[in-house]
Amino acid sequence: MLRYAGRRLLSAAVVVLAVTVATFLILHVEPGDPARAVLGEHATAREVQTLRHEWGLDASLGSQFTRYLDDIARGNLGRSFLEQTSTTSLIRSRISVTAALVGMATLFSIVITVPLAALAAARKERLADHLVRGLSVTGLGLPAFWFGIVLIELFALHVRLFPVGGWGTSFWSHLEGLILPGLTASFAIAPILVRSLRVGMIEVLDADFVATLRAKGLGELRVLAHVARNAVLPALNLLGINIAFLIGSTVVIERVFALPGLGSLLLSSISERDFPVVQALTLVMAVAVVLINLLTDLLAARLDPRIRLG
Amino acid sequence: MSDADLVLNRQQLIRYGAAGAVAIAAGTLPGRSLAARPRMLAAAPKPGGTLRFARSIAPTTLDPANTIIAGDIYTLDKIFEPLFITSPAGKLTPWLATGYTVSKDKKTYTFHLRPGVKWSNGQPLTSADVVFSLDRSRKNPKGPLSFLDSAITSISSAGNSKVVVRLSAPWAPFISDISAFSNAIIPANYGGASETAFFKNPIGTGPFTVSGFTPDAPSLTLKKNPNYWQSGKPYLDAVTFTFVDDDNQRLLQLRGGQVDVIDLVPPSQVGALRSASNIHTLLSPSWQVDLLVLNEKDPHFADRNVRRAVMQAIDTKALAHAATFGTAKPGGSFFPPSLQYYSKSTKVLPHSLAAAKADLAKSKYPKGFATELLIDGGVQKWRTFAQIIQSQLKPLGINVKLRPLDHAAFESAFQKFDYKMFIDYAINDISDPDEMASFELDYKEGGSSSYWSSFNNPSVTKLVRQAQREFNPAKRAKLYAQIQDAVAQNAPFVPLDYPPYINAYSTKVNGFAVNPGGAYRLETVWLA
Repeated sequence: MLRYAGRRLLSAAVVVLAVTVATFLILHVEPGDPARAVLGEHATAREVQTLRHEWGLDASLGSQFTRYLDDIARGNLGRSFLEQTSTTSLIRSRISVTAALVGMATLFSIVITVPLAALAAARKERLADHLVRGLSVTGLGLPAFWFGIVLIELFALHVRLFPVGGWGTSFWSHLEGLILPGLTASFAIAPILVRSLRVGMIEVLDADFVATLRAKGLGELRVLAHVARNAVLPALNLLGINIAFLIGSTVVIERVFALPGLGSLLLSSISERDFPVVQALTLVMAVAVVLINLLTDLLAARLDPRIRLG
Repeated sequence: MSDADLVLNRQQLIRYGAAGAVAIAAGTLPGRSLAARPRMLAAAPKPGGTLRFARSIAPTTLDPANTIIAGDIYTLDKIFEPLFITSPAGKLTPWLATGYTVSKDKKTYTFHLRPGVKWSNGQPLTSADVVFSLDRSRKNPKGPLSFLDSAITSISSAGNSKVVVRLSAPWAPFISDISAFSNAIIPANYGGASETAFFKNPIGTGPFTVSGFTPDAPSLTLKKNPNYWQSGKPYLDAVTFTFVDDDNQRLLQLRGGQVDVIDLVPPSQVGALRSASNIHTLLSPSWQVDLLVLNEKDPHFADRNVRRAVMQAIDTKALAHAATFGTAKPGGSFFPPSLQYYSKSTKVLPHSLAAAKADLAKSKYPKGFATELLIDGGVQKWRTFAQIIQSQLKPLGINVKLRPLDHAAFESAFQKFDYKMFIDYAINDISDPDEMASFELDYKEGGSSSYWSSFNNPSVTKLVRQAQREFNPAKRAKLYAQIQDAVAQNAPFVPLDYPPYINAYSTKVNGFAVNPGGAYRLETVWLA
């Protein structure tokens, strides 16, 4: 187990490093000057040059990059060009929004997926199964932002159950404000999970060992425990991948629902060429995605000895 | 501008008020006219309540001298005020100053500070505060608008309530420059605090106050300034700005009753909003004009006949109708109609394909050519503009390839002259048209090589510089009329349309008005 974990950790570190390098290069090779954005159209070339110098943007790409890596190594993610504050404090003020959104979406995904998949598996090839499968195909075809707007129209404008968007100021308003975005995000991944879990359950229910267990006279509850442990593996892997995907899709969902999370910060920082913020955000997001994948892998290995030994 | 002009402006404003226009309804006029207000309004303003306002851009700083970003400007102008402001009708209005006297040589201005103005901490406003603020603004090497103060050579106090400003030469736009938000007044030496600490917990003379400002927070609450110099105002107890960058989300929040006012309504939504009974849509004229700029470093556009052909081939009426859903006025003069000294009778070349073909026939490229149009691809309106222009130039044999880039890349491309044609908006930040005229036409001194077109016409430049030193309004109007004619005839850029600021608000909001600079003063707003 330890050797396996070490191997996975190493490859995770390589991925994070690759993302860091790629973000840095893309940002600095793309045209667009943050100094010009801050100083306005009336600024002279000299004024722009002075500010670029102050920000270290006039140094060579190589030396900017080594300085950037050096800063990261010392835990310094830099200062925002535009906000006059450290990127760490910007991210700290927003990370809880994105984490809450991802958490809510994951919760919704599980709540939607498990009963639907169980129902479809139990009623294999019957009406309920066909309905669930049809629904999940339709769900797959709908873009998340469109679904979000429909939810807003229905449950925030027509029936005023939830706010249209925004984060609010109290715990309850945060929670209220997360329902529709959480649903929207979960609808983007629930269809895949339902289909995968359904197949998993059907396969396991048909497996020889289930017949054996029953023949050995095991109680139905103990049989179910064995079935669940075997059926959940593929779905767990998929859930891990999809939480990673969710972190990416928060960019769109946070915008549609006006949530002040990391995704919306990333969008505005890219358009303003606020290099330090974009670099720090992609780093944080990459680490989050890699960590979640790592956790999923380790959990899977814990559940299935074939993975850690193979 | 002289004292006589100010009196005239004041009378004009009162006249507008009697006619029921926004200027008075919005109550932007302090002093004598206030007495006349209650009679003008249908209902007496009701004090109290919190205005919930969803805006597109969050503020990153409250420092007036260090920003040019809309999110910052329209927040800090509720906290800090300049000596003069621009009313919703576009007129200069005495604010923290009651007026000024000017020396015979037009080089020394003495401002009279308004008596009884207090800072939000209760301390009185003094001339030392004004001297400190204006010096700070004009000497700031990073100030995006410090160029507006370049005529100033010295600023000094003359007693507690007078400030003397000396200029290097007579400068007609001076009072307008002083009215810029960047010249807003802050307490001398930040009231004893450090600069950073001050702008976190600022002290201002404005109708609202902020404590514990955090850049880029999802919302910001402004509280009523109890020491505000206009007694009885602001009517509101507080204003809560929330920052929502998605256009659609802002609209939905207004429709859902979650907020009371929104900014930057997309033109495509204005029709639908007008049918909503509890929402009012306000289109306010702006000092903005959208331009198609032609690069004279490109041999095609160096040819005046080609530029004229392009101008005449573009049907600005159709363009404004299709791309702005009729919310913008079609372009003509390069000055927007809301700007001082706009000339209605500018000799604009009318849209005519035949005339366009005739001019192109006279050029070095009678059969047309292939070219490129650079746009900020993130903006739907520019994409529509570009497609219409592409199809309208086709009959001339001018084949246009579109080059959409993201905003930052787009800006850096045209500022390096890496373009053939590009579309952008030009904004005058203050009420005086010199900013736009010199920035767009004074090739050497203007700072942008004539809005990156490289148009360099010495006789036009001479007129622009003459207008800067002309104090007689009639003579100045004549100079600007000549300048507008010259631009229309030489076509360094094609004015496409004049877009308004579009706000929408719940019908329970009263007294909301926007000036041509896009600024709204909230001390006049009340909730029914």
